[in-house]
Amino acid sequence: MAALSAPAERPAALALRGVTKRFGDVVALDDVSLDVRAGTVHALLGENGAGKSTLMRVAFGLLAPDGGSISLAGVPCTPPFTPRDAMARGLGMVHQHFSLVAAMTVAENVALGAAGRYDAAKVASTVRAIGDRTGLVLDPAARVGDLPVSAQQRCEIVKALARDVRVLILDEPTAVLAPDEAQALLRWVRAFADSDPSHAVVLITHKLRDALAVADDITVLRRGVRVAHGPVAQFTEASLADAMLGPGERSSRVDAEVREAHTPRAPAADQAREGRDVLHAHQVVIRDTEGITRVRDASFTVHAGEIVGLAAVEGSGQHALLRAMAGLLPVAAGRLQSPTDVAFVPEDRHRDALLLDASLTENLALRDAGRRSGQLPWRTLAERTTALLSARDVRAAGATAIARTLSGGNQQKFVLARALDDAPSALIVENPTRGLDFRATAAVHDALRAARDAGLAVLVYSSDLDEVLAVADRVLALHDGVVHEVARERDTVGRAMLGVVSDASIANTERVTFATRTPSPGASA
Amino acid sequence: MITPLDDFLAATVRTATPLALAALGECLTERSGVINIGLEGAIICGAFGATVAAGTVAATAGGALGLTAGFVIGAAAGAVIALLFALFTVWWRADQIITGTAITLFSLGLTGLLYKTVYGATGVGLTLPTLDAWAIPGLSALPVIGRALFAQPLITYALYLFVPWLAWWFARTHAGLALRATGESPDAALAAGVSPRRVQLLATVAGGTLAGLAGATLVLAQSGTFVEGMSAGKGFIAIAIVVLGRWSPRGVAAAALLFGGASALQYLFQSLGWTGVPYQLFLALPYVLTLLVLARASARSRAPAALARRELTLS
Repeated sequence: MAALSAPAERPAALALRGVTKRFGDVVALDDVSLDVRAGTVHALLGENGAGKSTLMRVAFGLLAPDGGSISLAGVPCTPPFTPRDAMARGLGMVHQHFSLVAAMTVAENVALGAAGRYDAAKVASTVRAIGDRTGLVLDPAARVGDLPVSAQQRCEIVKALARDVRVLILDEPTAVLAPDEAQALLRWVRAFADSDPSHAVVLITHKLRDALAVADDITVLRRGVRVAHGPVAQFTEASLADAMLGPGERSSRVDAEVREAHTPRAPAADQAREGRDVLHAHQVVIRDTEGITRVRDASFTVHAGEIVGLAAVEGSGQHALLRAMAGLLPVAAGRLQSPTDVAFVPEDRHRDALLLDASLTENLALRDAGRRSGQLPWRTLAERTTALLSARDVRAAGATAIARTLSGGNQQKFVLARALDDAPSALIVENPTRGLDFRATAAVHDALRAARDAGLAVLVYSSDLDEVLAVADRVLALHDGVVHEVARERDTVGRAMLGVVSDASIANTERVTFATRTPSPGASA
Repeated sequence: MITPLDDFLAATVRTATPLALAALGECLTERSGVINIGLEGAIICGAFGATVAAGTVAATAGGALGLTAGFVIGAAAGAVIALLFALFTVWWRADQIITGTAITLFSLGLTGLLYKTVYGATGVGLTLPTLDAWAIPGLSALPVIGRALFAQPLITYALYLFVPWLAWWFARTHAGLALRATGESPDAALAAGVSPRRVQLLATVAGGTLAGLAGATLVLAQSGTFVEGMSAGKGFIAIAIVVLGRWSPRGVAAAALLFGGASALQYLFQSLGWTGVPYQLFLALPYVLTLLVLARASARSRAPAALARRELTLS
């Protein structure tokens, strides 16, 4: 850490000293310090719930710390320290969930928070000037809600730059981006830090790869404690993973998961081919409830005993496609074959899958509630719930436990267990591990593989490309409402998600599959 | 010569004036994400405040001062009631619908009680100055619209200026931007350094002030006296007007004219001698229109995204 205390250096762009933050009895941050040197990119690493975002929310004035101090460019930030003060002192933060007003234009979003008369033309020229200077090009008159996610993120950064922000905190910025977009963003981050000695970036991430690729310094948090920090040269992917997961926690299983997530397997779907096709779409077109065409052309098959992964950038039509496959949305054109006993696990378990304040038994009873009538067999349901909990390794106080009291991982395991309880022939899951930590993620992936091995046809969508590659036997890429089957390689899938599909990169298997299934009523397959 | 149509159009604008005032106030409040169902309460309190102030001041200092005091105190009474509503809903984040209903019922009861206490059951001795129509020379002689638009009390002329100003303020000032952002996404507003609580508080009080003015207008520019429950559902009609006007000042003004016209139909039919039709039918017309508007228009138009949301920030 010699670099951090070199004499003749400018004061740290952002320095946190001994920051402690409690939420009730939970200590979210315990005596955490962080030095972001001017002119550098500082990666803040940790698992979900390690306290990364909490620390940066303290730095940005969104949370008041219970102890410790903050200083910007050597000048202490005295409480009450608000986001407005932070921005006035040149600190900006781009949240994981954007702080944009969807109904307003880019220019209006950029201008928000200032005083006096709002001159749309002047703000528009500011937006264009920043675009010329930094390469973050945006149409000032575009409605933010109509922009793709990557452009919304640019809008957030431009919003900060328009206020002359010099120290930028980016919270999980690559999580919502396709690989090429993520690379472009990281390049931009590097360039921003290098362009001016007063600039600095804090990159909050749980992706080791991103941290090692772009950062000068790394700080690792685990359960609210700083467990490692120093220049990037001190670290390797393995040492960072050790620091993030803690001693003895990096079990062989987790290790295997890490390896699996980072090394593409060879397509191993040969046996699966022999399974009967359970889910089948042919030239399917889907319009959502507002009549907007979300899927223009989807043709693919999911066989029994295989996991097919769907990769797509947010807003490519996956939401509608999954729901149509699950029988929840009608198709506007084309042919879609989906069994009646298909199980669907939506991405927002809190909103769509669970009654958080009801017991697990009641939550189990909810399944198919619309199709059943008459008296509820509570005793049977309670017994089934108890059996499910032990069979699927869901950690809960019992069948009467309230859903809210379970951890996120156990909630998701319960939702999956419930979906699989009736022995369905197909399983469709959407972002199955969103918000889960490493171990819970591994458990959910195991459950998906177990379902496949039990002979189900499994379709998995995840906004995290690495997750798709980790669990899928075959990969479909969805871009702008069109589905392509692609080779199970990170770069190929990444390009296909962005619509850069060369014929060579499309797996031959797709065409073979559909050559034999082209609808001709006379031919019998 | 004054035709029945002239009378009808003039009555339309006259009836629309307090509706437009209250609805523009509600529009301002709703754009910040707060739906003030207590608008009716602010109107009736404005009406009563205006009655007391105008009556008292006019008795000693003359009609002009009395009118001024009436409008000022009426507006202030509306502001105070809205502040009470904001205390519960903006500060303590109580449910806006329930609080607003309680505020309305409370205000109707309170003004009724105070009226009886101050003026007795019959209202004997209640004499008020009134704001008469002032015909603008020249303009008021225009055919058809002349009398309707330009032979009205001053408060109506003030509206002609206020509507475009409010539209300009929404679109062209940072305060307007902050208000709209708060109504769409308090999280985004907060992150941009705007205080959503402060914005909602100010917007609610400003809306109450305009509703108080609407109450004062009912008393001082129209009926010339106070009657218990004289707001007669105008607060609720104003809320429907905001929906029909799609939360834009000009739209709200146009929708207020439509409702004003529905209320004024009774005068037209009376002057045409259609006595066969019971007048209660025409009295019911604005309310039927309200029901139809809420059922049809709200399906098509988009309210501020965070309207009536209790949690100020989601994260």
